[in-house]
Amino acid sequence: MKKVVLTLAALSLLATAQARTWTDIKKSGTIKIATEGAFPPFNIMKGNVLTGFEVDLANALAKQLGLKVQWVTQPFDNLLIGLKQDRYDFVIASHGITAERLKAVDFTNPHYCTGGAIVTKPGGPMNAAALKGKTVAVQVGTTYLENARKVPGIKDVKTFPKDTDAQAALMAGRVDAWVGDKFTGIDLVKAQKGKVVQGDLLFKERIAMAVNKGNASLLKELNAALAKSMSNGTYTKLSTQYFGTDVRCK
Amino acid sequence: MTAKPTAPRASQPLGVGALLLWLGGAATAFLVLFWLITLILRQMPDPISPRADLFVEGARMTLQLTLVAGVIGLIVGVVAGIQKTSGLWWVRAPASVFIWLVRGTPLLVQILFVYNALPPLLKSIGLDVQLNEFWSAVIALALNVGAYNAEVIRAGILAVPRGQTEAARSLGLSGPKTMTSVILPQALRIVVPPLVNNLVALLKDSSLASTIALLELSLAGSRVSAETFMPIPVLTTIAAVYLALTTVMTFFTDQLERRLKIASR
Repeated sequence: MKKVVLTLAALSLLATAQARTWTDIKKSGTIKIATEGAFPPFNIMKGNVLTGFEVDLANALAKQLGLKVQWVTQPFDNLLIGLKQDRYDFVIASHGITAERLKAVDFTNPHYCTGGAIVTKPGGPMNAAALKGKTVAVQVGTTYLENARKVPGIKDVKTFPKDTDAQAALMAGRVDAWVGDKFTGIDLVKAQKGKVVQGDLLFKERIAMAVNKGNASLLKELNAALAKSMSNGTYTKLSTQYFGTDVRCK
Repeated sequence: MTAKPTAPRASQPLGVGALLLWLGGAATAFLVLFWLITLILRQMPDPISPRADLFVEGARMTLQLTLVAGVIGLIVGVVAGIQKTSGLWWVRAPASVFIWLVRGTPLLVQILFVYNALPPLLKSIGLDVQLNEFWSAVIALALNVGAYNAEVIRAGILAVPRGQTEAARSLGLSGPKTMTSVILPQALRIVVPPLVNNLVALLKDSSLASTIALLELSLAGSRVSAETFMPIPVLTTIAAVYLALTTVMTFFTDQLERRLKIASR
């Protein structure tokens, strides 16, 4: 019985653990970063290796800060929930900055700018007006879901656990269009060799890293490291390598 | 006119009237349950109350999925179970292969297969079938529970003493007639508890249909939790709703079991 009580006490302590401040992280020498690993070309598992633009960028930032990195991958809709429970220090997984998310977490300055694009089979809906009476596939817990819902006259918005599942639904002809990130869309069009085409942007968004609400010291260090990488050529080099252009917010 | 003396309830076969009464009772109970759930969830604190209707819609889909797949799965199970007990190898073989395939692969893979791989495969052999999310999930779940039911029903048939078959045959009943009027009525009574087991498992397994964007209870939950970042109240709510659904369901299956009891034990 005593053991049980002790375990429960320990568990409740764990549950209320404070977010690690910059001082704690510096002392431990390792920073824990979470991402999804199913969102090419930003964060993707190739075999057993986690790679992508955001993964390389976060590794470069950690190097500038003189820290080792421990990566964690989670389903997208769990990422910010885990951050609030302090399972890791920050999240870099192409989160667009929204008012709803700002209630739960704090965002750094944006590390790139993008938009939600419509991807469809040739002859399908290419813009918001054409989506009237159509069904689209999106990933659960994303800004694409919120924005697709706002399209007037849209018939149905289906939610899938991963973007790759939503794309599979488009390829199987189950939906008229997929709404997702414009860069992912470009990749998808390339990979499917003309079976799908990219339409208009439904909306634009600023993408940033998230830290737990109130973790100001870590936020400050991440912003400083990001600004430094943007001025010393590290960022430009990575961006060119992945996209052929500079994707920072203008 | 004197009323005929009625036999004690336990030894009476279940009449059509009683069965209809039971079905009506179950339907009413679930309607009341949904009304109660809506009422309770609307009293809950923030992340739940504004989205109470979403949860109820999800619960309704879960129940619908379970009932439709459960009925089809029972038919599949009876057919495959009888096939398995046949003396002819070519009757046994298809049922054995079906059970081997379905029991040997995960349900998640089966759901994704029916949804994403089956339509293109059927198209390539000239069948243009449009399976929506609901029917994809129903097919996968019905075949899955059907395979498990088949083994349960086979066990039930084997549990009926051999003497029953011998007696029926020596009285001049044909093979099929023996099966339908002597063996199956006894076998089905024996297998009600394990069939109910499978039905309850099916209700919970239906949550896997969330992977193909069917808005059932667990997907309704993940949408709310992804939107509000409050997993604790959401998960507690969906667990409670699942528990309410299975509780009402088992209450009525227990009634059925009691009604079907033979006077033997």
